[in-house]
Amino acid sequence: MNDTRDPFAPRLARRAVLQGIAGAAAMTALPGALRAQAAGKEAPALAKLVGEGKLAALAQRLPEKPMVVTPFEKVGVYGGSLRRGLRGSADHNGILRMVGNQGLVRWNLQFTEPLPNVAERWEVNADSTEFTFFLRKGMKWSDGKPFTADDIVFAVEDCAKNSELYKSVPSPLVIAGKAGTATKVDETTVKFTFASPYALFLDLMATPLGQHPTLFPKHYCGQFHPKYNPAVADLVKQANVSDWGALFRIKCGDIEIPSRWGNPDKPTIDPWVVKEPYTGGATRVTMERNPFFWQVDTEGNQLPYVDRISFSISQDVESLMLDAVSGRLDIQDRHIDTLQNKPTLSQNMKKGGYRLVELIASSSQQCQIYFNITHKDPKMREMLGSKEFRQALSLGMDRKEIIDIVYLGQSEPYQAGPRPGHPWFNEKLGRQYTEFDKAKANAMLDKLGYGKKDAQGMRLRPDGQKVFFSIDVIPTLYPDLVDVLELVKRHWADIGVDMKVNTIERALYYTRGDNNDHDAAVWPGPGGLDPMLDPRDYFAQHPQGSRYAVPWTLWYVSGGKDGQEPPESQKQRMKLFDDARATSDLKKRGEIMKQVFDLAADAFETLGVCLAVNNFGVVKTNLKNVPEKYPNAWTWPNPGPALPQQFYFTT
Amino acid sequence: MLKFIAKRVLWMIPSLVVISFMAFVLIQLPPGDYVTTYIATLAASNEVVDQNTAADLRARFGLDQPMIVQYWKWITGILLRGDFGLSFEWQQPVGDLIWERMALTLVLTFATLLATWGLALPIGIFSAVRKYSIGDYIATFFSFLGLAIPSFLLALVLMYLAAVEWGQEVGGLFSEQYLNAPWSLAKVWDLIGHLWIPVIILAVSGTASLIRVMRANMLDELNKAYVTTARAKGLSEFRLLMKYPVRLALNPFISTIAWLLPNLVSGSIIVAIVLSLPTAGPLLLQSLMSQDMYLAGAFILLICTLTLIGSLISDILLALVDPRIRLE
Repeated sequence: MNDTRDPFAPRLARRAVLQGIAGAAAMTALPGALRAQAAGKEAPALAKLVGEGKLAALAQRLPEKPMVVTPFEKVGVYGGSLRRGLRGSADHNGILRMVGNQGLVRWNLQFTEPLPNVAERWEVNADSTEFTFFLRKGMKWSDGKPFTADDIVFAVEDCAKNSELYKSVPSPLVIAGKAGTATKVDETTVKFTFASPYALFLDLMATPLGQHPTLFPKHYCGQFHPKYNPAVADLVKQANVSDWGALFRIKCGDIEIPSRWGNPDKPTIDPWVVKEPYTGGATRVTMERNPFFWQVDTEGNQLPYVDRISFSISQDVESLMLDAVSGRLDIQDRHIDTLQNKPTLSQNMKKGGYRLVELIASSSQQCQIYFNITHKDPKMREMLGSKEFRQALSLGMDRKEIIDIVYLGQSEPYQAGPRPGHPWFNEKLGRQYTEFDKAKANAMLDKLGYGKKDAQGMRLRPDGQKVFFSIDVIPTLYPDLVDVLELVKRHWADIGVDMKVNTIERALYYTRGDNNDHDAAVWPGPGGLDPMLDPRDYFAQHPQGSRYAVPWTLWYVSGGKDGQEPPESQKQRMKLFDDARATSDLKKRGEIMKQVFDLAADAFETLGVCLAVNNFGVVKTNLKNVPEKYPNAWTWPNPGPALPQQFYFTT
Repeated sequence: MLKFIAKRVLWMIPSLVVISFMAFVLIQLPPGDYVTTYIATLAASNEVVDQNTAADLRARFGLDQPMIVQYWKWITGILLRGDFGLSFEWQQPVGDLIWERMALTLVLTFATLLATWGLALPIGIFSAVRKYSIGDYIATFFSFLGLAIPSFLLALVLMYLAAVEWGQEVGGLFSEQYLNAPWSLAKVWDLIGHLWIPVIILAVSGTASLIRVMRANMLDELNKAYVTTARAKGLSEFRLLMKYPVRLALNPFISTIAWLLPNLVSGSIIVAIVLSLPTAGPLLLQSLMSQDMYLAGAFILLICTLTLIGSLISDILLALVDPRIRLE
């Protein structure tokens, strides 16, 4: 693989020097560089409609300055139907990832900086409290109506901040407990104002959860809103629902609920629009090209290249695998990217006519063990809360064996923190206590007062109870973590510590966590490439994620009203992270985050096994312009930011 | 007879009330609620739900209220307005979701039933009449085989062979181009072309057990005196068989009609999931797994009602077919 096609290699070097200015990435939007799109082409089917007078000419459909996408390999050809698979239930985000990545800004391929998208450029004031976005003049919704600043103000002020629609304002629009304000400057300029500095706002606008501003067309969704349609009560009655909020959700959807893709009448700004909707009884979802899509390639050809997308719906993930193996999916990683499937998929590559692409893990840790250091039982809390106890357990773990057996050697021992190669990589946080040293572990445990042993050779606590705890894991979700824990159980038995692998169903896992009933739990540790977006392992930040101290997270989230007051080191990190979030200078932000990582390394709250393993996806051989490597993340909703609108089929 | 039917119908009402309550409680019994499951499902793809949104959803669906309040809201909606509510997940009326799937479910179930009975009855009769003949041994061999193979396994093996070895498409009930097309002759033909795979898979185990039942019942009857009498009177062998022993041997089949109706909805779930059939079964399982209360509740209620009606029908039919059975 040469360097230009490897997005991982350049990103490392580049991130260090990036200061928030658009770099020469592999794919770059060049707003304003091309005004000659009048010469550009459109899909034959659209050209025919134009010829028949049923559709406006291309120049009228495109904005004055369309977003110019540099194709990944080369300019493509129109046509073809792209096949992808969905699972029967709660898989709406499979559509979002492919189609709906149209926020104000978007990520570059390297996942290092936001690029212009719906906004052709933006300005940020000195203290990061005001963000001014300049929209594309003449940009249209998929029904041909203009997309203007009014739509964004409507979506933020009338929808996202409406307490009858959203009981609390979606969190990307909130900083320090206060929601920001969107105001219209002129038709194509909109300004977001926040009460306190919010440097992270731009990054968040590139993630799926930051899509609210571009989600609701005012001319369509306004009819379901009492402010714009006084007669909305009649519509509510007609639809037989309880209130206008419910009707609004059915018709206009939300970022990640199925009804976003359930209404073919709702205009969008996506490259493809819904034709056969995603509903409860559907066996297929199809989407057709948006004739008003506002992006062109470097030769001025309107995107997307591919005519339509067809999502087949399988009730069973195994039948998705069969579809992949027999070459009936054009691009797929969702649901089939487990390590166990890789041999089967590699074996059938030739027969199925597909290739495998590498998905770079954005997580940091494959198997993060969260000991509950705020355990309800004071004796357990004393044991699990002891840093030396956790360090001893870490030393008593043979990570090499786990990596060789469970992950086929594809990883390295690791604790937590940004991935090696990331400019914020922290050696101590990542690699402390990862060596296998049984003697030292035993000595540490003896010193802690767990020297006495029972007849089976298991250590006893000073109060006579066995040193024992259980670790919650969801086998249906992460079968590999069960395998890891079984090995860890053996390793720890060798140093006299008894552990139970507690395999439970996932709703129970969440309930136990929410109620702080668990001894310990495992989950992949995020924040490897996006430490600012998911810092749950660096301090008690996420009530459903930072499972080592759920009461502390509640304290943080509620601003000190709920939960338990955390110790000083945690409070410092909470404060530092809030500062980092307000700092737009990447270098300064990195310095602040280094303090967070250093404090986290000293506290050693979570215990990791090995670095998160890269996943993979299948791509048909004749589907071009697909990068051979791209990140795998929810905040970089793959493959969306690899721009599926510029994928094309040969022959 | 009429009095009997009226009494049975009246008894159904309290049964349904109890059933509806039990169903609601049972669906809620697993830990967590729809929102927890929803968050967990998304987390499986490393996707995160905005925490503000999660709390919002819970309030919107009334999941933060005590269970008895939720039940009251649900049951009064059904009783007073005939409104089964909106599915949490799909934000669509529950009634629409269920009916959308029922038509194809009926087609599949009846096709399977026809195939099962059409194969099992003649083979069962044959292997009883020609006991220990070559034909009987062959029928017996295959019926035990059919009993022993779980149908979902058969489905998986067939699918794997078809996909990997023959490069053919299996699963679903329609070809790509007819999937959402309006009904036409060509679409019906396409349906028939796809229907035989699930029908065979589903019919295999049913046929196998029916053959055994039919054979045993027939063997019981064939040696009875009335058969000899009839034969002595000079009835042709075929007429004799059909008119007396077969009619009696059919009793167990009629009793099973009671299970047939609920099976319309909940039968063959695993096979339907494996084969991606657009029938009601997978939707039912899905709604139970995601704790989509209203959808799952409506399904359970439907299945229970069908069971009650089914057992009434089979009781009545039994009385009609076999005069020896009294309804008192």
